[in-house]
Amino acid sequence: MNDMLEAFRLVAAADVVLAILASAIYGLVVGSLPGLSATMATALLVPVTFYLSPIAAVATIITASAMAIFSGDIPGCLLRIPGTPASAAYTDEAYAMTRRGQAEVALGAGLWFSAIGGIVGTLSLVLMAPLLAEMALSFSTYEYFWLAFLGLMCATLVARSSPVKAIASMLLGLLIACIGMENPAGTPRFTFGVTNLLGGIEPIPALVGVFAVSEVMRAMVTPEPPKLPRRKFGSILAGQWALTKKYQWPMWRGNIIGIIIGVLPGAGADMAAWVSYAMSKKFSKEPEKVGTGHPEGLVEAGASNNASLASGWVPALLFGIPGDTITAIAIGVLYMKGLNPGPTLFTERASSMYALYLIFIIANIIMIPLGIVMIRLASLVLRAPRSAVMPAIILLCAVGSYATGANLFSVVMVAAFGVLGFVMERNGYPVAALVLGIIMGSMVEQNFITSLIKSDGDVLPFIERPVSAVLAALTFGALLWPVGAWLLGRVQAGRLRAAAAPR
Amino acid sequence: MQLSDRVTGAFLVVLGGAAALSGSRLPAVPGQDVGPAAFPMLIGGGLVLCGVLIAFGIGHNFEVTEEAEEDTAPSGGWFRRLAGLRALVPPALLLFYVFAVDLLGFLPTAALIVFTAAMALGARPRLAVPIAILAPALVHLVFYKLLRVPLPAGLLPAPW
Amino acid sequence: MKSIPRRALLGGAALALAPLARPALIGPALAQPRWPARPVQMLCPWAAGGGTDAVLRIIAILLEKDLGQPFNVVNRTGGSGVVGHAAIANAQPDGYTLGIITAEICMLHWQGLTEVTYRNYTPLGLMNNDPPGIQVNNSAPYRDVKALADAIKASRPGQLKASGTGQGGIWHLALAGWLGAMGLKADHVRWVPSNGAAPAMQDLAAGGLDFTTCSVPEARAMLDAGRARSLAVMAPERLSAFPDIPTLKEAMGVDYQTGAWRGIAGPSNLPAEVKAAMDPALGRVFNSQEYKDFLNARGFGLVYADAAGFARHLEAADKSLGEAMKAAGLAKV
Repeated sequence: MNDMLEAFRLVAAADVVLAILASAIYGLVVGSLPGLSATMATALLVPVTFYLSPIAAVATIITASAMAIFSGDIPGCLLRIPGTPASAAYTDEAYAMTRRGQAEVALGAGLWFSAIGGIVGTLSLVLMAPLLAEMALSFSTYEYFWLAFLGLMCATLVARSSPVKAIASMLLGLLIACIGMENPAGTPRFTFGVTNLLGGIEPIPALVGVFAVSEVMRAMVTPEPPKLPRRKFGSILAGQWALTKKYQWPMWRGNIIGIIIGVLPGAGADMAAWVSYAMSKKFSKEPEKVGTGHPEGLVEAGASNNASLASGWVPALLFGIPGDTITAIAIGVLYMKGLNPGPTLFTERASSMYALYLIFIIANIIMIPLGIVMIRLASLVLRAPRSAVMPAIILLCAVGSYATGANLFSVVMVAAFGVLGFVMERNGYPVAALVLGIIMGSMVEQNFITSLIKSDGDVLPFIERPVSAVLAALTFGALLWPVGAWLLGRVQAGRLRAAAAPR
Repeated sequence: MQLSDRVTGAFLVVLGGAAALSGSRLPAVPGQDVGPAAFPMLIGGGLVLCGVLIAFGIGHNFEVTEEAEEDTAPSGGWFRRLAGLRALVPPALLLFYVFAVDLLGFLPTAALIVFTAAMALGARPRLAVPIAILAPALVHLVFYKLLRVPLPAGLLPAPW
Repeated sequence: MKSIPRRALLGGAALALAPLARPALIGPALAQPRWPARPVQMLCPWAAGGGTDAVLRIIAILLEKDLGQPFNVVNRTGGSGVVGHAAIANAQPDGYTLGIITAEICMLHWQGLTEVTYRNYTPLGLMNNDPPGIQVNNSAPYRDVKALADAIKASRPGQLKASGTGQGGIWHLALAGWLGAMGLKADHVRWVPSNGAAPAMQDLAAGGLDFTTCSVPEARAMLDAGRARSLAVMAPERLSAFPDIPTLKEAMGVDYQTGAWRGIAGPSNLPAEVKAAMDPALGRVFNSQEYKDFLNARGFGLVYADAAGFARHLEAADKSLGEAMKAAGLAKV
């Protein structure tokens, strides 16, 4: 109890409160700029944390990352340009809602369920950290291989086009991920002698290219779309409670999946959003609406990616193993501030731990008022003429991608991916699947190859361990689904067409 | 840029084949049985398979709903033909940024890019000029000051 | 995105962060040397949040205090360090782009991954060195490093699996060197490449590996959590932060030592005044209480050499690492 009081005192300190507020605004801004991810927001905070007290330092990282993951939804929803990779899975859905004049519902859902996901994730951190940590530690490369494979299968569930084209896009993404020498063998591949390609293709320039640049390219060749009916931007939170009740089950599923994926080192918020969105599509009661501006997927995936953020701290705090790139940075800061990760952190520094929990909760609560302000400001973009918004986006694409590595080569990459995304989109290849392939590529290969090395080329160890057996079974289920769906689709093709016609 | 499924499918077959072939030529790693070749060959094979399926139109019927949504797309034939070239403006501007930014500095380069893009999108100079001045200044302020990204000063260093 | 309120918001964020971003930056500027007259860029070939990044950032802050100009850390990552190392070597030799170089610079060129060698740099100071440890799962049957060594000798080649970093990385060489010192072939224990020490320690705890040869600080959290044990450290003497871990020589009489070191360097042909200013400045940084506290807190090894000493160190390391890589069959030439 004394620890709890001490924690309140720690968090109520002026510098901590100021740090939370400042980093909240900072996280909201950075996350909403295309090309700047939540990871980037956190990395840029590191030098600042040098000057802060330990609790304030950790507070900036927790707050900024939570805000950035939420606000990545904003440009995705308004402009079809996801701000962070975690938002890419459901960008099309959110944008479709905007086109139908429901931008405030879509953004409100992103905000409300992000906050809920964040709080549920925090509770899992408070109540079940040792249990979750135990689970994380039962994952060796075999389990990761199946998990990553399962993540890739989400491409076919998410895409609204032909599953074959979705798989082709995803494979193209995996091939792109092969570029460079970041592979288990450390051998340069497909670099064509270009030093800059040795480092491989970062997901951020690819994401910015296929979404943002290709969107501007599309704007160049299409006439300005009819203005949305000019009306007052409705209340952002009204209706969220109704959604919460209506989609209670998907919301909880999103929370749980987010917590589980978040706690597994290396998977992270991006994958949580993908898997949850795919789940919501698969299990939706109104599957025909999914992809046309239906909030169900936003509810589930929005909750999921923020829940994963909190649970990602479990392995980081207990074992110093980063759950994702954000906690990787956070671990460095923890060490620097003398809060060395390990079980003793929970016993000897209990007040600091409670303070950390409190900060998580506070961050997710102030996300709602600050998020509303941010949404209101950002939604002015919908009224601005396209010829004013799009040039600014090009500029942000260039600077944002440059900022990730201080390398002009990534700007070239953004341009190349813009052309690729434009051509793919025109021909019915879903670009989101490409991004998934690029994000997951190195994780799939790393765990596949190292598992093969460990098993001396034997397949049996892949399914021997209990968890890996379950995951393998799930994967084969997901693998066979498109084939079954295709057969089903042939039978029902006539009926489907009839259903689609009136729209 | 609208290509038939046969063309894109064939392209994927060629790409997958090339990836698998050049992947198979990668040197093995000493002391390891599984090397860098395995994964590209696997993906290349997958791409070839997908390419064949696409070329033969399998799975095409899933795209029906997609076409129905595209009601905002232009319908005029002449517009499409011009379109191909104008679409290349954004990537061209990005390449211009790469080559010009160190020479001219961030502010002039960015202003040129924003102005050109705005004009290409049909803005009147009354709108394009203020945007071309405001947007680079604002972006510079945020990235250079707040995020400490090293943007080159070039000919026109920022006043802050 | 260009509305007035949005600008006000950004401005607000900038204002709010400004006091956080720069307290106490203006330190005692020494007698106004001609260099540095403007901010200096410090390139880091490894990602933000990692050990190298952390070390460079603390050095940058202390240099800023010492020399009175901002030292900005820029992470230029990719290609197992190739991209960033090349960027430091190819920078304008005006003293305004420097960087941190790591042991990999004496390894990458042997693998034929880059043309850049230690000769392309002006060494300025060696700042840190971390020797590898030998870690096993807590439930492993090996009580000490001797037991593990006996098990290795009794195993068939490739049966036991170890990890700690990527293929051909410094910890892979540590394993190869240790096996060589025991009179075994370098690939007697199969190396499982990993994306750094953290995933390797995770796999060790999950029961997927037999042992890891990453540095002890990298394994620290798992050791503290009681999930892994460190049997020995490949160093001339015990580590001050981990006094319970014996050296290889103490535990099994095998004298083998190596380490992952980090040092500050600039491109070759750096002006003499830059070198003259940086060499003593780095010495003062190393001897400062802040630097020592920081490295001790993370368990990083405090090892220093001035510019001339770092140059000798680079030459020796390049030779010994090259030999180790040839012995392990990892070198191209």
